[in-house]
Amino acid sequence: MEKSKRQFRIVVRIEMATLINRDGKINRKKMDRLAMVLSNLNNSGKQIMVVSSGAIVLGSEKLNLSSIPGSKLDMQATAAVGQVELIRSYQRFFDEYGQIVAQVLVTSDIVEYPSRIENTRNTFDMLLSMNIIPIVNENDPVSTTDIELDDNYPLALKVANIARADFIVIKSATNGYYCIVQGNGKPAVEVENEITLQEKIEELCKGITPARLDSSGIVFPVSMEEICPR
Amino acid sequence: MEFRKILRNKKRIVVKIGTSTLSFENGRINFHRLEKLADVLSTLRKKGIQVVLVTSGAIGVGAARIGMTQKPRELNLKQALAAIGQAELMKMYQKFFEEHNQLVAQVLLTKDVVTIHRRNQHARRTLDRLLDMGIIPIINENDTIATYEIEFGDNDSLSAIVATLIEADLLVILSDIDGLYSADPRMETSAEIIHSVFEITPELEQLASGAGSSFSTGGMVTKIAAAKMCMQAGLDCIITNGSEPAVIFDILEGKKVGTHFVAGQQHIINHA
Repeated sequence: MEKSKRQFRIVVRIEMATLINRDGKINRKKMDRLAMVLSNLNNSGKQIMVVSSGAIVLGSEKLNLSSIPGSKLDMQATAAVGQVELIRSYQRFFDEYGQIVAQVLVTSDIVEYPSRIENTRNTFDMLLSMNIIPIVNENDPVSTTDIELDDNYPLALKVANIARADFIVIKSATNGYYCIVQGNGKPAVEVENEITLQEKIEELCKGITPARLDSSGIVFPVSMEEICPR
Repeated sequence: MEFRKILRNKKRIVVKIGTSTLSFENGRINFHRLEKLADVLSTLRKKGIQVVLVTSGAIGVGAARIGMTQKPRELNLKQALAAIGQAELMKMYQKFFEEHNQLVAQVLLTKDVVTIHRRNQHARRTLDRLLDMGIIPIINENDTIATYEIEFGDNDSLSAIVATLIEADLLVILSDIDGLYSADPRMETSAEIIHSVFEITPELEQLASGAGSSFSTGGMVTKIAAAKMCMQAGLDCIITNGSEPAVIFDILEGKKVGTHFVAGQQHIINHA
């Protein structure tokens, strides 16, 4: 495969709850579509990173719990069970498109240690240079901070900044639209579906340089919720 | 051999399996062995024994997944392969354990999470809860984000730290060597396996570090260090050949297999 020096980097934030049916099972059609779109974006020369929640939701299903656990401890245990399911699901669906994925679990305090940021960035760089899509989640089972169910907006921001991504893509849980947050400070753009997402990203990439090739670097907004309401 | 009897009453055990035991010499995974291991550990769990599995192998599995034939050396590449391979490895474990209706969970640790007291209680409580739920936690180092200051270095140490953290009563290290020998078995035909160790003396450590005595990647040195950590914490440790995982049944029946590092027996050395 030809290696371009100008590959743009996109963090895609997935809220697993939007891909799960009422019975707690993964919606195969939606998951397949997502895997196809992201594999396709990757094929087009964009480097894709997924930040995905869902370990607790899938763990609850695996454990036959009637509802999501309430205590932090039960959430942590459930997350340890569910993360296996989560990554297995991604593997299964991406495999259909010949796309290899990898699991990266980070602790929330990672940004406090420059050496860990550097190290994690190097791992991301290596995976992306190998055309692999990292599936990133918080290492909930050993987390010392609060676990907020399905709230990995902050993690998506951290990952985007660590990896010096150019865009963060968020799929709305309400209308299913994709919101593209731009790392260069320009206003976020909303698109209706996968096809327009692909087109819009191509358009946005024109005339700009990938962020990590700029010495200035990038800073994503502190609160994405103001830009992309859920 | 009375003290082997104490192994019959173990209720919470940690089993560590190394790369050399779960893969072939070419580095590819030995599915048959994983299948047997899952069978043995699920059976133990059904008998009411709480089991934690500490596994290596992520990097090798990752290399195989992307079709790499050479052993990676570069750190960044190893970390990337670990991220690919850990996911694959868990998929395999889950598949084999599911055949026995046994639930598993993945817990990835970095050193800061288990050695700093303020923080390690979180990991401990999660592991306790998983065990209480009848789940087998499968532990590995979180290679992908571990930097030198937070890495365990080897999974022998990791397994001993985990065993101590959760107050297990036995650590079984499955290796590609039958146990600790009185001399290098490849050099001296008179070399015999040492079945019981009551104290880790400098001579013993010397024996472990002797040329040629470390057959597996981790080597005997790190295993002895792990055993020492266990003994100091008051828990038994067995180092044995894991090519037949059913050896764990023999151990728990008090049979004389591998080298038994006996906990808290330093004061009655002469009874051996």
